[in-house]
Amino acid sequence: MKNRLEKIRKQHGINQEELAKALEVSRQTIGSLENGRYNPSILLAFKIARFFDMTIEEIFIYVEDEKV
Amino acid sequence: MKKIFSAYILTIVGVGLLTGGLYFIIAIENPQGLLGALPYICVGLGCAVFGHGLGEIILQNAMKRAPDAAKQLEIDMKDERNLAIANQAKAKAYDMMVFVFGALMFSFALMGIDLLVLLLFVFTYLLVIVYSTYYRFKFNKEM
Repeated sequence: MKNRLEKIRKQHGINQEELAKALEVSRQTIGSLENGRYNPSILLAFKIARFFDMTIEEIFIYVEDEKV
Repeated sequence: MKKIFSAYILTIVGVGLLTGGLYFIIAIENPQGLLGALPYICVGLGCAVFGHGLGEIILQNAMKRAPDAAKQLEIDMKDERNLAIANQAKAKAYDMMVFVFGALMFSFALMGIDLLVLLLFVFTYLLVIVYSTYYRFKFNKEM
């Protein structure tokens, strides 16, 4: 799964630490999400989407032929 | 509040076990059988319980003094990525344990150790496997 988290975060002018604090996750989780190394749970995906006032699909992009 | 109270209780129990164990080491002359080992078990157990309790008290006090650090610690402990990493590491260790203990039991059997000890090992090994299977079924029903 790909995502536009880094781009959206930068557009909102907040750093990883501030986003992590708002979402109540560690800063490393935000870093891993942005690098695409970690896929969030559906709850965290909703939290991120709500935080930016967007839909999940606008942030996370499902790639069809991906190995899960 | 409840956590710090139980930490104080643990610390007191630990000190009690430790001093009790030390007293029995000095007081009992020529201990026979289990009595010979019991004071040392008390000392060991007392040290562990005392250390755990005192550690918890220090942690709780530090968290009271630095609420920001306490919040960060709570976030790190509940962080879903950290939990996923911990669970994956545990699963890997369990997979390895199944093979390592299997090999260890096999070597013990070849070495011809006492049958009772070997059976204890086998039953403990099977208990862990059964425990794992039980939770597989339980989680299968729940999820």
